[in-house]
Amino acid sequence: MDRIIFHIDVNSAYLSWEAVYRLQHGSLTDLRTLSSAIGGDEKSRHGIILAKSEIAKKYGIKTGESLREAKSKCPEIMLIPPNYRLYMKCSNAFYEILCEYSSLVQRYSVDECFLDYTDSQALYGDPLEAAYSIKERVKKELGFTVNIGISSKKLLAKMASELEKPDKVHTIFEHEIKEKMWPLPIEELFMVGRRTAPKLRGLGIKTIGDLAKYDRELIRIHLKSFGEMIWNYANGIDSSTVKKEESIQKGIGNSTTISYDVTDRKEAHLVLLSLTEMVSMRLREADMLTKVISVSVKNFGFSTYSHQRKLPGPTDCTMVIYENVTQLFDQVWKGEPIRHLGVHLTDLCGKEFYQISIFDKNDRERQMQADRVMDALRKKYGNDTLVRSSFINSGIRPIRGGVGEDNYQMMSSLL
Amino acid sequence: MQFTTTKDALVNAVNTVSKAVSGKTTLPILEGILFQVQDDEIFLMGTDMEIGIKTKLTGDIKREGKVVLSARLLSELVRKLPEDEVSFILNENNMTKITCLNSEFNIQGESGEDFPKLPEINGEKNTVIPKDLFRSMIKETVFAVAKNDNIPILTGELLEIEEGRIKLVALDGYRLALRQGKTEEGISLKEVIPERTLVELYRLLSLKNEDLKLSATVNQVLFTLGDTSMVSSLLQGDYINYKQIIPSNHTTRVKIRKDELQSSCERASLMARDGKNNLIKMNFSGNNLEIKSNSELGNLHENITMDMEGDPLKIAFNCNYFIDALKVISEDEIVLEFTTSVSPCILKPVEGDHFVYLILPVRYIEH
Repeated sequence: MDRIIFHIDVNSAYLSWEAVYRLQHGSLTDLRTLSSAIGGDEKSRHGIILAKSEIAKKYGIKTGESLREAKSKCPEIMLIPPNYRLYMKCSNAFYEILCEYSSLVQRYSVDECFLDYTDSQALYGDPLEAAYSIKERVKKELGFTVNIGISSKKLLAKMASELEKPDKVHTIFEHEIKEKMWPLPIEELFMVGRRTAPKLRGLGIKTIGDLAKYDRELIRIHLKSFGEMIWNYANGIDSSTVKKEESIQKGIGNSTTISYDVTDRKEAHLVLLSLTEMVSMRLREADMLTKVISVSVKNFGFSTYSHQRKLPGPTDCTMVIYENVTQLFDQVWKGEPIRHLGVHLTDLCGKEFYQISIFDKNDRERQMQADRVMDALRKKYGNDTLVRSSFINSGIRPIRGGVGEDNYQMMSSLL
Repeated sequence: MQFTTTKDALVNAVNTVSKAVSGKTTLPILEGILFQVQDDEIFLMGTDMEIGIKTKLTGDIKREGKVVLSARLLSELVRKLPEDEVSFILNENNMTKITCLNSEFNIQGESGEDFPKLPEINGEKNTVIPKDLFRSMIKETVFAVAKNDNIPILTGELLEIEEGRIKLVALDGYRLALRQGKTEEGISLKEVIPERTLVELYRLLSLKNEDLKLSATVNQVLFTLGDTSMVSSLLQGDYINYKQIIPSNHTTRVKIRKDELQSSCERASLMARDGKNNLIKMNFSGNNLEIKSNSELGNLHENITMDMEGDPLKIAFNCNYFIDALKVISEDEIVLEFTTSVSPCILKPVEGDHFVYLILPVRYIEH
């Protein structure tokens, strides 16, 4: 039997969430009705547009362009710095509503989910009606709008949800591919981005339909296995299934752009400590241990380099991670002004088994307990409750980095 | 250079020294073997600058000289020669003619003058080590050498000679292997020998029958076995204070048949083959050891009878660590000592102290 798959996509997610938050907190205007965008703080030089309102879109503002470009297109644009913590909360609430409709919901990114509706029909009836009721419920209970795409395949469901926005339900079943998907410009096809689209256009492929009708062997010669994959997509061929929320995280990382160039080693260490605090808190929250620690540095000339190390044994202890982070940094830093620093943990493993090592520090258990207590306090009363004294009068934020999209694997690695 | 030897002697000598020749090197001449005829002796030598092996080749000498010939080519070549006399003649431009019966090779060599000299070791510390003892000491400890170089000193083994006792210690952070025996008195030595040196020495010890002589300087060690000698650099730095790691008391002591425990661990490893933890759970109680392991593949449950003194104990290990140690133990019965489920386990002989294996447990959360 064919499956029924929903793809539910939040319209201008970051902006909608910010708007809802502001309305709930007494704001009189809705950001969505203004020319506005979510983007990094210009003063601290985080410079790209992450999400924009429909009005801003009319000015030609695109996701991913720099704040300066956006301002030149629309000088009165309202720019709001991102608040990843809020976005995670909204995303979680959104996911929870979806879970009521199916036991098979895959969180695809912070603002989109796949839902396998096949077995839910007996309970909630007609898929189209259910999609409308989900859409209305999210709007009523959470205050933001979503697009829902319905199909028998994940890829087609995703393509359907991208059709007309916002606040719409669309279907692209297999018999509808020709009529609904093929006339779309090639750029609209999943996985076809800035780099592939010009190549395809060079081959005379302007629409998804052009690609679908193109010779499969020829496209493979031009674009190798990737070509074959997008040819399959254009023809609606996709056999992936909705997976339960991915619990296997590949890594956890946080990075930050510093509002001035750091040239002092001690100061860089403090920034690294603030990132380590966040990263290791998240690691413990995920109930994992890490085996590989890496530090990345972007300098004033925008060149980036990184350095990583495999630990003798896995850990989740803030101070152990920090010790390695500073050593890695000292080994790799060439002394030039630093603009951006990052700490990443990979090669994660579960906690149920722990091979004890001769080199475990004697106070390992105590450190772990201290970490647990700090986590609990910060979770209950906020991150500012407990601050390491080395940050006092340093002017550096004691905990840095969002709990944002880095949590999710890139789309391409999942589908 | 001109000499005649037999195929067998040549194969032996080439095999002996080619183990020191490195496969990849930035110095092309090190891919070769030095042939040197001097003072009525023929010597072959190979080195990768970390270890160097030199051996004597018996033969009939006509003319002195030296040349470097590709180790890879030569070891293939000598094996394929017919069983007969082989003669070497060095001609102009390092062209070397090798003749055996009706075959005549002309091999392009490199100048012997460019080959690095092996350091002359006239160590202050010289001793003779019981050959068979040392060979089994290597075999019974080398598996516990650290496989990665997070802590460089652990990529070698500690050789300790003191008051007529010789000890070899390897540890990788999760386990330790110690083997000791009697040796000549009058020398005291504490050096860390790279794993590769020991592995090559083990191979040489299996081939030769002569006494093993050791001579050490500050950063190098020389092993001599009759006509063959091996020079190796030593690892610099202090070895971990292993004595501190081995607990001196215990609260649970178990006497168990080694073969039964080994087979049981090997069966458990079949079930624990998910590669991650290879967990084996042991429950010592009364006179019974209960062994369990499980994974997605299935599970195993078995019992072994044993003698136990002290407190009952539940503990878990990486079963490979147990198998590695049990495989090299030749005793029928062994003793296991424990204190808690998160502290080291000691494996030792029922009588004597010629070996100690220490294995750290895995802490696990029982579901």
